[in-house]
Amino acid sequence: MLTKTLAKTHLTGSGKGQTNNRLASIIRRLTELSIHLTLLALGFVYLFPFLWTLGGALKTPREFFTRGLNALPGGEWQWQNFADAWERASFGQYFLNTIFIALGTVFFTVLLTSMSGYAFSRLEVPFKMIGITIIWIFFLIPDGYSILPVYRIVKALGLLNTLWAVILVRVAGGMLFNSFLFYGFFRGMPKELEEASIIDGANVPQRFFYVMLPLAKPMIATVALFTFLGSWNDFFTPLVFTLGRPELRTLAVGMYAFVSENTREWTLICAGAAISLVPIIILFIFLQRYFVDAYAAAVKS
Amino acid sequence: MANNVITPRSPVVARKRVSVNRPPWKRGERWWGLLFVLPMTILVALFMIYPQYGSVEIALYNWTSIGSQPTQFVGLRHILTVAQDPWFWNAFKNNLLYTAVLVPVQLSLALVLALILNSPRMKLKLLYRTVYFLPIVTSLAVVAIVMRLMLGNFGYQISQAFGMKPPVDPISSPNLAMLSVIIFGMWHSFGYNLIYFMAALQTVPEELYDAAKIDGANNFQRTMFITLPVIRPILWVILFLAVFGSMQVFEQSFVLTRGGPYYASEVVAGYIYNYAFTTPGSLRQPNIGYASAAALFFSTLMIVFTVLQYFVLRNMNRKRD
Repeated sequence: MLTKTLAKTHLTGSGKGQTNNRLASIIRRLTELSIHLTLLALGFVYLFPFLWTLGGALKTPREFFTRGLNALPGGEWQWQNFADAWERASFGQYFLNTIFIALGTVFFTVLLTSMSGYAFSRLEVPFKMIGITIIWIFFLIPDGYSILPVYRIVKALGLLNTLWAVILVRVAGGMLFNSFLFYGFFRGMPKELEEASIIDGANVPQRFFYVMLPLAKPMIATVALFTFLGSWNDFFTPLVFTLGRPELRTLAVGMYAFVSENTREWTLICAGAAISLVPIIILFIFLQRYFVDAYAAAVKS
Repeated sequence: MANNVITPRSPVVARKRVSVNRPPWKRGERWWGLLFVLPMTILVALFMIYPQYGSVEIALYNWTSIGSQPTQFVGLRHILTVAQDPWFWNAFKNNLLYTAVLVPVQLSLALVLALILNSPRMKLKLLYRTVYFLPIVTSLAVVAIVMRLMLGNFGYQISQAFGMKPPVDPISSPNLAMLSVIIFGMWHSFGYNLIYFMAALQTVPEELYDAAKIDGANNFQRTMFITLPVIRPILWVILFLAVFGSMQVFEQSFVLTRGGPYYASEVVAGYIYNYAFTTPGSLRQPNIGYASAAALFFSTLMIVFTVLQYFVLRNMNRKRD
């Protein structure tokens, strides 16, 4: 009580303080305004590459050059570029490949990592401690440089030059991190939830699929989102595993190849980039709360 | 004591209790547990543990392409060659340069923006967060392709707009190529750090600010003496992630500048790739044995680097506490 009163006197002050306060509030408003103007201007620069890409996809090849850094096309908007990129430059095929890989990766990652996360947190697993230790060790080893042996395994499995190869490698790559996320999630859930179903005589798969998994929806959403994004935007894995088969390329790899083969088809390159970028940007804008929460949760844990 | 209470009262309850407490593996749970972790175990063993050994094996041979058989056993010669190759060190230097410039600049900018957005009076928070986070969700490779298109065709105009005299084409200038890669990388991954910092700032208890206000601390003082010390543990994690992520740089250079001009902006991952796979326009003779050796050598450097970083951070933390 005393401190509150003291604070009040301190903040409002005397009559002279009030003019000061008015001045201070004007200064504060001006500061706020300048911060907003700066952030908006920077934001425009920040998003400019995307605007320029979209604009480029709607230009004629001639305009692409004459308009330069101006994002807007000079004349009529060339929607035809999208159709051309989709058909002629087979971005339609690349789009479908990318979707197939992303969905396949998400499905298997969620299924397998939720199972192992559940088992590690709730079931008796032989050599559990060894398993958990190995997970920790492999977190610390930088990955991505072991692609050659992985390539040999995929070849030995006879999966070379299939989309399944990319799915398999991506799913394997996501195993540890996502199992760990599920492990933490299931461990934090009250045991009583399951005990009721144990008394009812439910076996392990029933308990997992009917009781625990439906309760893990927030974590499923997080893992699915991470995995989908990682798979959609991945370049290296599909690049390596589709080297010999152009029809299996994903959007990112297809773009890369298209640029190397048709250096002058600028407007189609922009249209292809837009086909690749726009769906994910729309997804992000709608689900942005989940995206942001997922990343924030990841760093906190 | 507990048993005494339960057993006489109700045998039924007691039996159920026992069945709950019984070692789970007695009810076949052990098999289910094994089955549930089996897919993960197989995948991890095949794609993470075996490759660590597999790379070592490959690195001991001359092996022209992944489709063929090894031609010659060379032992440790590849590793020695990598360690003496000026081009490897050139690429490694670029990794270090990338990290050394990107991390401090990006983290300070992200922290400042996070502090601004964290202020309770701030409006349009959601808009700014969306805008500055957006590049993260887009494909690094695809955006790099578009940026290459932009810089390749209009880079001259851009450098003119920035008042550069004489104007140059950034991606074909030996001095500016690496800078372009750094700025591009900084632009793309800025959002991660923004979100991390914003999450960190949320953990600062509101009461601390109230107390400081009463003591008459201004905004700057509150930031320096309350916010930063409170979030310090998370700061270290963010720093660690940023350094670790930056050392893995690949597409930023591989796609934007193709490592050029004349390897001026090549990074280690690109160097390895060029030896591992036939790249159109590359002057290098593919040799997956050599590529594997380079990968191993780099992994070793990275592990040393990570351990050092860990100890330095831990020491700094200790000194402060």
